[in-house]
Amino acid sequence: MSVLIDQRTRFVIQGITGNVGRFSARDMQEYGTTVVGGVSVNPREREVAGIPVFPNARDACAATGADASVVYVPASTALDHVVEAFEAGIKLVVYPGDGLPVRDAIEMRAAANANGATLIGPNTPGLISPGKAKAGFMPSFCYTPGPLGVISRSGSLSYEACFRLTSAGLGQTTVLGIGGDPIKGVAPAEALALLHADPETRAIVYLGEIGGNDEYAVASYASTPGAKPVAALIVGRQAPKGKKMGHAAALIGSHADTHPAKMKALSHAGVHATGTITELVAAVRAALQARP
Amino acid sequence: MLLTEYEGKCLLRDAGVSVSDGFLARSADAVTRRKLAYPVAVKAQVTAGGRGKAGGVIRAATPAGARSAARRILAMRIGDEQPAAVLIEPWLTIKRELYLSVTVDPAAQGYVVLYAPRGGIDIERGKPPVRYDVGPARNFRAYRLREIVRDVEPDASLREKVIALARRLIELASTRDCVTVEINPLAQIEDGSLIAADAKIVRDEYAAFRAPDIAASIASAIKAQSRPIARALAGDLMLVWLAGEVGLISGGAGMTMASMDLIGDAGGKPACFLDCSNNPTPDGYRLAFELLDQAPTVKVILVSIFGGLTQMDRVARVMKDIMRERRSHKPVVFRLNGTNAKLVEDIFAGTGLHNHATLESAVAEAVAITRKRGRR
Repeated sequence: MSVLIDQRTRFVIQGITGNVGRFSARDMQEYGTTVVGGVSVNPREREVAGIPVFPNARDACAATGADASVVYVPASTALDHVVEAFEAGIKLVVYPGDGLPVRDAIEMRAAANANGATLIGPNTPGLISPGKAKAGFMPSFCYTPGPLGVISRSGSLSYEACFRLTSAGLGQTTVLGIGGDPIKGVAPAEALALLHADPETRAIVYLGEIGGNDEYAVASYASTPGAKPVAALIVGRQAPKGKKMGHAAALIGSHADTHPAKMKALSHAGVHATGTITELVAAVRAALQARP
Repeated sequence: MLLTEYEGKCLLRDAGVSVSDGFLARSADAVTRRKLAYPVAVKAQVTAGGRGKAGGVIRAATPAGARSAARRILAMRIGDEQPAAVLIEPWLTIKRELYLSVTVDPAAQGYVVLYAPRGGIDIERGKPPVRYDVGPARNFRAYRLREIVRDVEPDASLREKVIALARRLIELASTRDCVTVEINPLAQIEDGSLIAADAKIVRDEYAAFRAPDIAASIASAIKAQSRPIARALAGDLMLVWLAGEVGLISGGAGMTMASMDLIGDAGGKPACFLDCSNNPTPDGYRLAFELLDQAPTVKVILVSIFGGLTQMDRVARVMKDIMRERRSHKPVVFRLNGTNAKLVEDIFAGTGLHNHATLESAVAEAVAITRKRGRR
C-alpha cells in the first residue's frame, strides 16, 4: 500500500500548456503515473503529450473520471484553480507553487476541508509513491520502493535525503512534501497519521528545519504509545537568529524555533534525530531496527 | 514585512480602530515647527522589538523637551536600526494596558485572536494570552471569543469593546493581507474607551501582486538595503550575509541550510545564504556569481544544487558559460545533482570543471581552499 496515490490514481494537470505543466505531464507519465487529462483556460492545443486538454476541471473530470489533480498556475490565480478542482469533485489536489499569499493558503485549506478533500502544498515538489505514481516534479531516480514513509518541509532537501536513502538500499512507501509555508494542506500531524495508518510503512523519516512548530508535532507523535519508529534530520544549525532562511516559516524568532530546542524535544521523544545529513542513513537504519 | 508604528497606525485608522492623532518628524527641527498640546510622547520609528526598554519612547512636557527628545532618539541605535523618524503623539493617560492581536497560526489553520488583560512591555513575563482559533476570517464568532475572554476579563463593558475590536482586526488582517496585527498596549483611557497606543503589523510580501502598498513598501525596503542585497532581491535571489568565507550558491532553502551546516562541520564558515531557486536562469546565476565575486570576504564559491524542476544539464551549461566569461579568479567547487544530472559530466568534459559526486566531498574541497588561502 501507499499513502494518497498509487498506479490506479487518475490525474489531471491544471495548467498543462505552461512550461512547467508540460514538463511535469511528460515526467509523470514516464514514471508510469496515470495522467488522463489536462486543463487550460484558453486551450490552443487539443492535447499535450497525447493527453487531452479541457477548458475546465469539471469537463476534465466528466470526460476522464479523474480523482486527483496537480495544479501548475501562478500564485495570483492558484486559489481559484484549486477551488475549481475541489468543486469538480477532485479529492486530492497538489499545489506545488510558492509565493502564495497566506490568506489564499487559508482559503485553500478551508476549501479542502469543506469538500472532504486533501490539499498538498503550497510550496512543495508534491508527493511520490515510488514504483507506483508521482504527483509533482521531484527527480524520479532519487526514489525506490521500500518501508519508509518520508515527510519533508523542503523539496530540495527531500531529493538529497531520498537519494541517500535510495543509494543505501532504504526505499520508501510514500514521500510527502508538506511544504515550507506556515499554513499547509497537510500539517505534520496529519501526514504522520496517514503514514501511521499505512501497513507497509515500517518507519517514518521526518526532514525538518529551524523555525515554526512542525517538529514538535513529530515529537508528540513519537512519544505516543504504539507509534512507529521515527528518524529525523533537522537542518539550519548555521542559520542566524531573526533572518528568514528562504522558506516563509524558516525563521528563528523564539527559543522553540531554534535547532537545539527542536533536537532536544525530538530526542526526548525517542526520535532518532540528527542535525547532519551525513548521519541520516545511520539514523534511519537505527529507527528501522527499533521495535515499534 | 513588519511596518513601523506610524505605518501600522495608518492601517488601523483605515480599519476603524481608534489611534492617537500623531505626526511623523524626520528631524528635531520638524518637531518644534508644529503647535502641539503638551505633554507629548516622542517615539522612535523602528521595527526592532524592545523599543520601550531601549529608551525609544520619551515623554516631553515642553517644545524644548520634545526637540531634545527627538534629537536623542534620532541618534540612537535600537537593535540593528537607527530610527529614520519619530512619531509625536499626545501623551495618553492610561488607566490600564491590555494586549490584543490577530495572527496567522498553523494550529488554527488560519487566524487566531490573542488577548491578555495586562499588556505592555512586560507582556512576555505575565500569563500567556488566551487564544481563540478562528481559521478563515469569515469563521469569526463573537460569542466564541466572548466565552474565551470571559475567563480572564470580568469587566463586561470592556469585554464587548475588545470583541468588537477583534472583529475589526480580523477583517483588517484578511482584507489587507496582514500576517500579524498586534496592539500592545491597547490602552484603556480615563473615559473607558480603547486606543491603540502601539501597532505592530506584519504584511504578507507574497500579496504584493494585488496590494500596491505592499509592493511599494518592498521596493523602498530593497532600496534601504546594502547594494549587494538590493541587487540580489531585485534579481529574485534570496541573500543573507553571514560571517564566513565559503560563498554558497544553492537552490532551495532546505538544501542551502544543509550545505551551510556541512560547511560548519568541516571547520569552515559559510559567507552567505544565497538561494537561486526562484530565478534559476542564466541571469540569476550570473548575478549570484557577480555578487560573490565582488564580496571581499568570499574566498571560494561552492555551487550546491539538487534540482527537481531545475534541470541540471541546463544549469551545467550556464555554469560552463559563466566560468568562461568571469574575470574573478576565486576558485569554484561544484556539486550538481537532480533532474538530468547524468548529463553534467559530459557537459563539463574538457573544461577543467569537476562535478563532485557527494556534497561532503565538495564541501571538504571548498573548506580546504579557504585554509590554504588563509595561510598565504
